[in-house]
Amino acid sequence: MSKKIEERIPQSSGEGAYFKSYFGVRSPWNKIYSYQESLHYASRFESVLSAAATQALRIIVPDYAERAQLMCEEAYARLYATGKYYGDDDGFGIHPFFCGQFAGALIGDKGDDALLMCGRCQDFGTYRAEKELDVCDWDICGSELCRTTTMSLQGQANASAERRRSGPTMDYLMVEAKGCGDRHCRIIAESREKYPAPPHALWESFGPAVTEEYKKYTEEEDCVSESMMFREECDYHFVNGTNNETDSSNQMINMSTAASLYILPAISESVKRGYVTREQANHILKCVLEAAGKAMFGERYAIKACRDWLGVPDSVGEDGRILGGLMEVLLQSLVCKYEIEAFNKEEVILVIDRAGLEITATRDVPEAHLWMWQGMVKTLVNTQWSVWEEDSPTGKMRVKIAKKIDKFM
Amino acid sequence: MYKNIFKYDEMKRSEHMAVRNTVGWYFWTHQILEITGPDATAFLEYMYPNKIGNLAVGRDRYTTMLNEQGEIIDDVVIMRRAEDKYWVSTLFASKTDDWWYYHQGDYDVEWTEVTEDWAMYAVQGPKSQEVVESLVKDSVKDLKFFAHRDAEIEGIPCLINRGGFTGEKLGYEIYVSQEDGEALEKLLKPAVEKAGGKEVTEFQIMAWTLPTEAGFFYMRDLAHTNPFEVDMAGGINWEKNFIGKEALLKVKEEGPAREMVGFEVPEADIYIRSKQYGGPGEPVFIEGEEEEVGRVSKLVYSYVKEVNNGYILAKKDKLHVGDKIKIHGYDAVITKRCWL
Repeated sequence: MSKKIEERIPQSSGEGAYFKSYFGVRSPWNKIYSYQESLHYASRFESVLSAAATQALRIIVPDYAERAQLMCEEAYARLYATGKYYGDDDGFGIHPFFCGQFAGALIGDKGDDALLMCGRCQDFGTYRAEKELDVCDWDICGSELCRTTTMSLQGQANASAERRRSGPTMDYLMVEAKGCGDRHCRIIAESREKYPAPPHALWESFGPAVTEEYKKYTEEEDCVSESMMFREECDYHFVNGTNNETDSSNQMINMSTAASLYILPAISESVKRGYVTREQANHILKCVLEAAGKAMFGERYAIKACRDWLGVPDSVGEDGRILGGLMEVLLQSLVCKYEIEAFNKEEVILVIDRAGLEITATRDVPEAHLWMWQGMVKTLVNTQWSVWEEDSPTGKMRVKIAKKIDKFM
Repeated sequence: MYKNIFKYDEMKRSEHMAVRNTVGWYFWTHQILEITGPDATAFLEYMYPNKIGNLAVGRDRYTTMLNEQGEIIDDVVIMRRAEDKYWVSTLFASKTDDWWYYHQGDYDVEWTEVTEDWAMYAVQGPKSQEVVESLVKDSVKDLKFFAHRDAEIEGIPCLINRGGFTGEKLGYEIYVSQEDGEALEKLLKPAVEKAGGKEVTEFQIMAWTLPTEAGFFYMRDLAHTNPFEVDMAGGINWEKNFIGKEALLKVKEEGPAREMVGFEVPEADIYIRSKQYGGPGEPVFIEGEEEEVGRVSKLVYSYVKEVNNGYILAKKDKLHVGDKIKIHGYDAVITKRCWL
């Protein structure tokens, strides 16, 4: 096999036509995707991967309550610890006179918008806060995740409260969740001093809220489909009520996905707790992610749609470049650095910067992608093709897409 | 449906009305940037449009801070602590720090954030003077509005500033070291209760309902407006150079494109989105017309007038006091921007 890189559209394409100010993502065949479209693509792809990873966790810890409790405990502990040391109150518009745990709602509000989970804050006060989401790409991951994200809010809220004068304690509840079939996700945080309710287990964070009657339900016609950073009416900025104003798109770039933030850490936690060994966990995860990858292009129309979306010319047949191109679009969308070592009809080699696919404390995200891609290539191209890691330099994942015969595949 | 989060909440009501009828106290620490140096006055004159140089030691001034486009990027209280030493009270110290640094040039100034050193307590309402007088070693009765003075409360050294964010004629802010905060609270609580008042604990009361009744702004209301649009151009010193002057002179000449008007919604239980929660706010239309004439900046509740009240940032001269409009299907009426 040669290491040839076939003629591609130059990276400077468009420069002579004064397109210098256009920021976008580009397929190897010069299909241009806007920043907005590429973020949506990356967000949904990562959610599909996360949903598959959740299935692995479901196999490892079959009991719903046990699994949800494990996920909630792990997320709470980690986000509480992170929140204690993060301390960027200014960056969230948390003012020094804020007391207690309600300021944590500001952290969640900003995070939602950055993850394209658009909606609106409906109440924000010392004793009650309410956030309503119209869109959540993570809604396919399972209701355990909905419970878990609530606990991460609780963890950050509790940590941020410790930096301030003491105030009311807040119980963060997800009283509606798109992952459970509701129209919206709705998080209501209530002070238990003002609105008493019986205590609940960490994972039983679905409510009902004591203050349901204050709830503001947005009807379909008023729902939004884009985060503030993609809405002209918001001047393309996330803006909260305490005048925090920012382009919040860094969250996706930082690989804050459901898998990296919650599911993979929960699988690691299940290993720690002895449900399975690390090897068994990886085996289950690999099986599930490969199957999920295969399912993505099981139907011919999905392949056609993918080729069309990537702008693959008819002259390019069934070979690894199609998956390679798709991977490139994802990596560019996530602002993950990579180099093209080979790109031809016989092989594609991408040398990916591992750090671009990782997030602090979750180092196995690149492997999860690799397993998913291995499944995808089987249906997007054909079963002669495989994806594997080979001869990776330190800090890189050298991914090869080529034909391979393996009698134990 | 949409039960009013203010109207039926007796805790919020009692905290709000304590300030209006007797006295309320609350933890109200802001961020403080302490700026010193021979060019401190000149630097602040350049950074802020209102006059700073004529501020006497021991006096305060409220002013906006503008960007080059003449838009308000912060509103602060500047306290002259000594001839070449000022405190700038803000809620956006990090941004201000960056902004000052960017514009410092050759100005011989130094600044540092001293927020961590101080705790500030607001004592507001008609009986606030009675409470403060009952606590201080030496009377501060003669303290004028927007004036501050060193004082002592039961051996605790403090700085007392007469001012506030409630619209009350009488109101004080007591600064003590962080370490003395708890001790001061122990003294404040019974003193206020003795005067028939109470602690204000709800953010929405201290930052939204009380100031809105007086027509005051939280920074979210002011973002991306210029001083002419929000009736804050009165104190601008046109004789000096300041950031945003050129753009603002153009607005002065041509007239502002928008204005901040008041409005009320008589129906109690409503759902109207407002910028105070983030986002763009509910669009406002004149009935029968398709043109959007403004956005709801703020919508809270006036416990004094017993009505939903707020602000609309509207196109200039499109909405007038008494106009009846519909916002998100609810009847509303345009009012003056004051409910006291």
